[in-house]
Amino acid sequence: MPKLAPLTKLILTAAVSVWALLIPMLIGQIALVVGQLLLLGLYRPVGKHWKAVSGLALFAGLLVAIQYVFGSSLEFSLMSGFKMLVMSLVFVFMLATTRLQDLTAALVSQCRIPYEYAFMFTSALRFVPDFLEESKAVREAQACRGYVFHGNPVKRLMDYIAIVEPLVLRAISRSETMAMSLELRGFGHKGRRQFTADVALNRPDYAAMLFMLLLTIGLTIVR
Amino acid sequence: MAVNFEHFSYAYPNSDVVLDDITLDIPQGSFTVITGPSGAGKTSLALAIAGVVPHYFGGRQGGSVQVGGVIAAQSSMGELAKQVGTVLADYESQLVALTVAEEVAFGLETSGFGRSEIAERVNQALTLVGLTGLEDREVAGLSGGQKQRLAIAAVLVTAPEILVLDEPASALDPEGAAGIYELLYKLNCQGKTVVVVEHQLARVLPYASQVVVLQAGHLQFAGDLGQTLAFMWQQPALRLGVPPLWVIKLTLEEQIGLTLTAWKSEDEAAAELNKLMRTCAEGVAKSA
Amino acid sequence: MPETLLNIQKLVFTYKNAEQTLAEVDFAVNVGEFVALVGRNGSGKTTLTRLAMSLIKPASGKITLQGKDTAAMTPADMARSIGYVFQNPDRQIFHDTVAKEVAYGPQQLGFAPEALNQSVAWALRMTGLTELADSFPRLLSRGQKQKVAIASAIAMQPKMLILDEPTSGQDPWDGHNLMELLNSLNQQGITIILVTHDMELIAKYATRVAVLDRGHKVFDGTPAELFSGSRDIAAWGLLPPTAVALSQQLADVNAQNAAELLKKVMLAIKERSDDYA
Repeated sequence: MPKLAPLTKLILTAAVSVWALLIPMLIGQIALVVGQLLLLGLYRPVGKHWKAVSGLALFAGLLVAIQYVFGSSLEFSLMSGFKMLVMSLVFVFMLATTRLQDLTAALVSQCRIPYEYAFMFTSALRFVPDFLEESKAVREAQACRGYVFHGNPVKRLMDYIAIVEPLVLRAISRSETMAMSLELRGFGHKGRRQFTADVALNRPDYAAMLFMLLLTIGLTIVR
Repeated sequence: MAVNFEHFSYAYPNSDVVLDDITLDIPQGSFTVITGPSGAGKTSLALAIAGVVPHYFGGRQGGSVQVGGVIAAQSSMGELAKQVGTVLADYESQLVALTVAEEVAFGLETSGFGRSEIAERVNQALTLVGLTGLEDREVAGLSGGQKQRLAIAAVLVTAPEILVLDEPASALDPEGAAGIYELLYKLNCQGKTVVVVEHQLARVLPYASQVVVLQAGHLQFAGDLGQTLAFMWQQPALRLGVPPLWVIKLTLEEQIGLTLTAWKSEDEAAAELNKLMRTCAEGVAKSA
Repeated sequence: MPETLLNIQKLVFTYKNAEQTLAEVDFAVNVGEFVALVGRNGSGKTTLTRLAMSLIKPASGKITLQGKDTAAMTPADMARSIGYVFQNPDRQIFHDTVAKEVAYGPQQLGFAPEALNQSVAWALRMTGLTELADSFPRLLSRGQKQKVAIASAIAMQPKMLILDEPTSGQDPWDGHNLMELLNSLNQQGITIILVTHDMELIAKYATRVAVLDRGHKVFDGTPAELFSGSRDIAAWGLLPPTAVALSQQLADVNAQNAAELLKKVMLAIKERSDDYA
C-alpha cells in the first residue's frame, strides 16, 4: 500500500463527505462504507481501530432506529445512518494511518493553519501518558496511607476528586514551565518552519487526488 | 565578559524580594557554579541570565543584567535564547515533542536549516549526551535520567555560547552525574561559558572555575573554588555545603597549620598527602 | 537472635517491557536495623521496595511480614506496619494544613480520636514541624515537604519506614537534617530501609548495606565490609566515601571514616616532621 501524504488524507476526508452528500442511493452509501473499510484494512489496523469502527457502527445503528421510530421512512433512516457512518469512518482512517506529528506538519505547512493551534494537539498527546502516571503515583501514595479505593461508584468518584487537587496543581506548574521553555526555544518565531516530518506530495498522492477529482465530477454529473 | 550583574535585584509579582543587590561577573569561558541553601534565589539568578526574569514573569527589577554586552531587560527571551541555552530544573516539563529526535530538532525548526542539516545536528547532539539510537523512541517512555539528557541535547543543538543548567544531574545516579559534568566540562573547554546551579559541590570539584554562594537572596561570596570553600568553611550556616574532600583538607590545614593546594580530586589529594607523609616539605610547622 | 521483620525469598519480578527484572532475590530485614539499599539506577532497588509494600506483585517468590505471607495483602494493609515515603513529596500531599495531612494516615487506619491526636502531636514533634502545624504544605520548601511526608508516615505508628531516595534533590543542609531525623527514629526502634545513592550517608548511618546489580543482590553486609576495598564496587556503579577512597590511595593509612583518616594522616605528618626536628 503506497504511503499517502497527510494532505491527501485530509483532502480525502473532505471528498468523502462531499460524495456522501452527492450520492442519492443507499447502495452507493453502502459502497462507500465498504470501500473505506477495505482501505483501512490495507493499512493493517490494530484492535483499537476496529473498536472505534464498531463504536461508530453502533452509533449509526442507533441513529437509524431513532429516526425510524420518530416517523421517517426506513429508506430515509438508513440513508442518514449510513451517511453519518461514511463521514466519520474516514476520520478513523485518517487518524489510524497518520502520525499526529505528520498531521500537524501538513496542517501548518500546507494548509496554513497557525502553528500554535496545531501544536496544542501534539503537546496534549505528549502529556497524556505523564498525566496518567502522575495520577497512578498519587493513588499509590494514598494507598500507602491506608486508603482503600472501593465502594459504590459515587464514593469512588468523590475519591477521585480528592486526588484531583495535586494533579491539577502539577498540571498548572508543568504548563507554566513548558511555556517558559517554549519561549526560550524560539516558539514564537514567525517565518517558515522546517518540520522533521516529511509531508511532501508524491506520485501516489497526485494519482489519488486525480481519482478523487474525477469521481467527484462524475458524481456531480450523474446527479 | 559573558554575563554581568550590576546591583541586580528582583521580586516576583506580589512577592518579596528574591534577589537583593547582586553584583557579579561571569567571565566568558568560565565554569561558574551557583550554590547555597534552598530558597537562596539560585534558580532566579540562573533564569535572569536567560531573560526569563523579568520578561516572562514580570515583577519588579532593580539594577541590570548584561548578557554578551546586551542589556537583558531591553532584549527579548527569543533574542537572548540565541546566545543562552537553558535547562530548567523541571526538565520533564521542558520536553514538548512526541519523539526524541523531534524534541532535539524543535529548536532548529525556525533556524532556516534544511531537513538533512537538521538531522545531522540532531545526531551530533544525541551523540554528545549518549542517546544515539533512541531517535524514534517516545519521550514519555524514557527514564528520568534519559529525559534529563534529552533536555540537555535539545539545548545544545542550537549551539549557544552560554549554557545555564539548573541542577542538571538531579535525576542521575553518581555515574550518570559524573558523565553529564564531564560533558559540560568538555563543552567548557571548547569555549562555552557554563553556569550551573548545584548543591553537591563534590560533583563540580574538578571543573569549577568560579563558585558563587547565595543565601536568602544575597550574594555572600564569589571567588575561585579554594576561596569560596574556605569562606563556606568559616560560616557555621554554610559549613555543611563543603564537600567531604575539602572538609578533610580544611580540617588538616587548621590542625597542622599548613596550606595545602586546591584539591580537585582524590588523586590530587592523595599525591600531596603522600608526599607530605614521606618528606618534610617546606612550611610544615614543627609540632610543639 | 534478631527478630526478622520482613523476609523476602527468591523474589522474581519482570516489568511488562522486560527492561528491568529482579532475579531470585533474598533479602531479610531485622527489627531495629538501618539498611541501605544501593545500586545503579535500574538495578532494581525501588522495585524491591515496591514489592515489599505490595504495590506490585512478584512473578514468583515469597514475602513475609512478621511471619505472615503478604501475597494477598494490599498497600493499605501493609500501611499498618510499613510507612512508605516516596521520592517526590508533592505526590503525597493532599491537604490544606500540615496537621490534617499528618492525621490522614491514622484516620484511614481507624485510630481512635485520643490515640490519633497523640500520634499526630508526636509525629510533628519528632520532625520539628509543630510550629508549622497550620501551614499550607504546598508553600513549604522541599526539605520541609519531605519532613511532612515522613511525619505523615510515622503518625501511623509503623514498625518500619521505607524511604526512596529522600535526600535526592535536597541541599546538603536539608539532607543532613533529614538523616538526623531518621537516625533518631531508628534509635527509637523504627526499622529503616533507605534507598540511596549517597555513600557518605551510608557510611555514617547505615548498619547494613545491600547492593543490587542488574536485578541480583550482589552484596549484603556492613558498610565497612563494602568499602573495605576487597570488592570491585565500581562494577556495581558505586564509589566509596571520600575518606575511604582517599585512605586507599595513601601509603600505610587504613581508615574507615574521615576522623580516622585525619588522625592517622596528622600522626604521620608529625612523625615526619619530628624525624627532621
